[in-house]
Amino acid sequence: MATNDTSHIRNFSIVAHIDHGKSTISDRILELTHTVEERDMEAQLLDTMDIERERGITIKSNAVRVTYDADDGQSYQFNLIDTPGHVDFTYEVSRSLAACEGAVLVVDATQGVEAQTVSNANLAMNANLDIVPAINKIDLPSAHPDEVKEEIEEDLAIPAEDAVCVSGKTGEGIHDLLEAIVMLVSPPSGDYGAPLKALILDSYFDEYRGVVATVRVFDGHVSKGDQLTMMQSGEDFLVDGVGVRRPAETPVGELGVGEVGYVVTGLKDPAAVRVGDTLTYRDRPCAEALPGYREAKPMVYTGLFPIDNKDYENLRDALEKLRVNDPSLTWSPETSVALGFGFRVGFLGLLHMEVVKERLEREFSLSLIATSPSVDYHVYRTDGTMLEVRSPQDLPDVTRIDHIEEPFLKAKVIVPPEYTGAVMQLAIEHRGITQDMIYLTEKSVEMHFDIPLAELILDFFDQLKSRTKGYASLDYEFSDYRASDLVKLDILLSGDEVDALSFIVHRDKAYQLARGLCDKLKEIIPRQQFEVPIQGAIGNKIISRSTVKAVRKDVLAKCYGGDISRKRKLLEKQKEGKKRMKQIGSVEVPQEAFLAVLKVDDQ
Amino acid sequence: MVSALYLHIPFCHARCAYCDFDSRALRGAALDAAADRYLEALLARVDALGDAGALADVRTAYVGGGTPTVLGDRLPELVHRVRAWCSPSELTCEANPESLSAELAAALAESGATRVSLGVQSLEDAELAAIGRLHTAEGALEAVARARAAGLDVSCDLMCGLPGQTGESWRRTLAGAVAAGPDHVSVYPLTLEEGTPLARRAEADPALEPDEDLQAWCMAEARRELVAAGYAPYEVASYARPGHECAHNVAYWTGESYLGVGRSAAGMLSAPEWDGLSALLGGESAGPGVARVRYVQRDDEAASFEVERLSRREAIAEDLMLGMRMTRGVGPELLARAREASGEKSVGAAVDEALTRGLVAWAPDGRLAPTERGWLLGNELYGLMWGLAADD
Repeated sequence: MATNDTSHIRNFSIVAHIDHGKSTISDRILELTHTVEERDMEAQLLDTMDIERERGITIKSNAVRVTYDADDGQSYQFNLIDTPGHVDFTYEVSRSLAACEGAVLVVDATQGVEAQTVSNANLAMNANLDIVPAINKIDLPSAHPDEVKEEIEEDLAIPAEDAVCVSGKTGEGIHDLLEAIVMLVSPPSGDYGAPLKALILDSYFDEYRGVVATVRVFDGHVSKGDQLTMMQSGEDFLVDGVGVRRPAETPVGELGVGEVGYVVTGLKDPAAVRVGDTLTYRDRPCAEALPGYREAKPMVYTGLFPIDNKDYENLRDALEKLRVNDPSLTWSPETSVALGFGFRVGFLGLLHMEVVKERLEREFSLSLIATSPSVDYHVYRTDGTMLEVRSPQDLPDVTRIDHIEEPFLKAKVIVPPEYTGAVMQLAIEHRGITQDMIYLTEKSVEMHFDIPLAELILDFFDQLKSRTKGYASLDYEFSDYRASDLVKLDILLSGDEVDALSFIVHRDKAYQLARGLCDKLKEIIPRQQFEVPIQGAIGNKIISRSTVKAVRKDVLAKCYGGDISRKRKLLEKQKEGKKRMKQIGSVEVPQEAFLAVLKVDDQ
Repeated sequence: MVSALYLHIPFCHARCAYCDFDSRALRGAALDAAADRYLEALLARVDALGDAGALADVRTAYVGGGTPTVLGDRLPELVHRVRAWCSPSELTCEANPESLSAELAAALAESGATRVSLGVQSLEDAELAAIGRLHTAEGALEAVARARAAGLDVSCDLMCGLPGQTGESWRRTLAGAVAAGPDHVSVYPLTLEEGTPLARRAEADPALEPDEDLQAWCMAEARRELVAAGYAPYEVASYARPGHECAHNVAYWTGESYLGVGRSAAGMLSAPEWDGLSALLGGESAGPGVARVRYVQRDDEAASFEVERLSRREAIAEDLMLGMRMTRGVGPELLARAREASGEKSVGAAVDEALTRGLVAWAPDGRLAPTERGWLLGNELYGLMWGLAADD
């Protein structure tokens, strides 16, 4: 569109509380606009990764263009931008929202406004988006749309007379929703003739085409052959093609002002293309980059080791390849006595860690061990120098430590008032310090507290969800480093310290954790040919102990009628199981043992 | 040379709680109808194999189940028919105490059966009830007496790790079994098989799960008691008075060819034997590079088979694996063949590993035999031996 006229463009995302029907509504929109024919529909079409589909969550941003022929006789270009939905991906969410002018806020007609509805609405309003409320699931007998409208007005302070009643399941009201998007969402503005200014929302690596970036054009236009530069990374490249997703990639002549699409960069270095960076012309750059760019900073570090040491190089290559879609991924080599060569990898959070590990295993056929998560500790030595420690193994001898500081977060929880007690209790258990509580509305309270990052990364989010029946939402940002009484808890198997099982923990919690870990490991480690004592220790002091008894009997029972094949298959299955274990000294340790700390039951 | 024949009878009066083997629980007219239909196909199959000359060299036959004795008079008829094609020196019928009447025992002996294998399992009524057996302890002992009176060799199957079983009750079962004077005793540790009623119950009540330590103790205790009573352990689960080893089971562990007849019966043939009988076994030849074929009959009519082809190297590794079930282990001749097939180095490494782990020991006659440890941790040992089937 070689023009400043963007009046036919609508860029929006869909936000909702979990299970309120965001994905089904996206699917119906694709269907109604004939972007995808019904026979090709797969549930949750926009979530392309297997893991996303399995877990029903969105991890990566995605942008699909649909063409909508509106009742006014005009044809509109809709860019539907899907956003991640987990606290680990807060930054990606903010970038996706920055690419939109509007947001469809989906509220379940039977459930009404819930805590996540509130926090998502807040995010959208903070991004100055035009909000289109949509009340979903009106086909259900228990739907009460009128009350939900009142809730939207009262709890969210969003005018609800424009709220559209829809059913993602039957398709009812979707047409009205599309009309409302035309009416309520502002068209983008920008200058077609100005130097290019485009925001990178996401990128992925294609073996043949290099990095392909998803972009939103704010000013100017981009087409094949343009010489561009990325303003933050400083990397130059020649545009090898531009296009849009419908949802299959479709080349177009150019991406004009206000449009969303992809740019083929041809760049072979994944790290050069970062979410949040600004694309502009190399020879005629725009005056300033788009605001809000932030180096994606890892919060959590875990060791990743191939079970088979021969896979070390493959693991590095795989990490390189994943980084292109996931610039937040950082790593450095790590060596463990128990596990050999691997990497200390930084993640945005534990979900991010799980997803990356799962992708590495599935997409690159690697068998990996992940070790206990750690944060970035500042260790002040007696000689006055400071050491950054991301792995318990790197902790200096206690006699040479003056004190240790750990990162604290400012956490914000939005929750209905009846759960404030439960949240405070949870915060106390996790060494949190409650700062204040603000009533946002009658039905939601915003609580602020300071909490060590190390406490938050373990199970805080899951616990928060379970203790507030899913109502609470969590947001956090880094606060500062504070001194804490931290110790290194070591685990010994058969008397030998296993470095990969060590963990840095607050002294007050060390005994309880040591007991919990020993008990958990006893459950996880299968019985072996010899008895395996498991001990928890701080320095030379043993503080807990459990024992995996020696296996006394492991023999095939009755062999019915000479069916040897069946018994042989059982043997082979047993052998497969062993391959997934790591031999440490004489002990065979299953992968999950190294993350046992995440599974220790809360007392 | 096919020296062993297995016939499967997939009927019982009731399913035992632990059993996942192919069998249907039927009684009365329904059983009669199903058994008649099944036996018609089974007998036709025996005749077809006999016609093809496959049964001429059969030295041992074994009618298993299920519960073959629920066939009543049909069972001696079946035995008789088998005898029409071959003259096995050992012909065993599995039997349950409640369905082995004195008349049936006599008829079996008359028809040419030489041996019954009785499912005694336990001599504690509460334990028998817990696993869904239809007989009592007393009933089991009476059945042993009836079989002996008919002149049949008698084997008793016993199980350890049953729900409610204790060290004490196991001792009583062992003592009672020895006192009944069978020629042969088998001791099986209970395993929970997926999908069985007992496995489902154990999911809700973990106390039902067999305690492996107790099972190991029970197996060792059985070995002590039975050896003291004059029974020699000759296989993982088997004890016999001198000269009363089950030759049919020994055939399974020593690489002899056997035919399986009936639904879900398994067979094993050398490639040339398979090719000679392939018209009766699905029609496909063994193919190049195949030394041994294992098969399982999938249906009543012997129209469908599950077939597994093994290379020479695999067949030899399998022989080593199975040979290690025998108390006497494997001989120098088999080890030499293994070295030739899998390489000196691989076999050496596997044997050393087994020696280091205390699973085997060299016997004075040059045989490599499982130790007590290798007996109780058999899977470790079998796994090492079967590992020789794979390329390095």
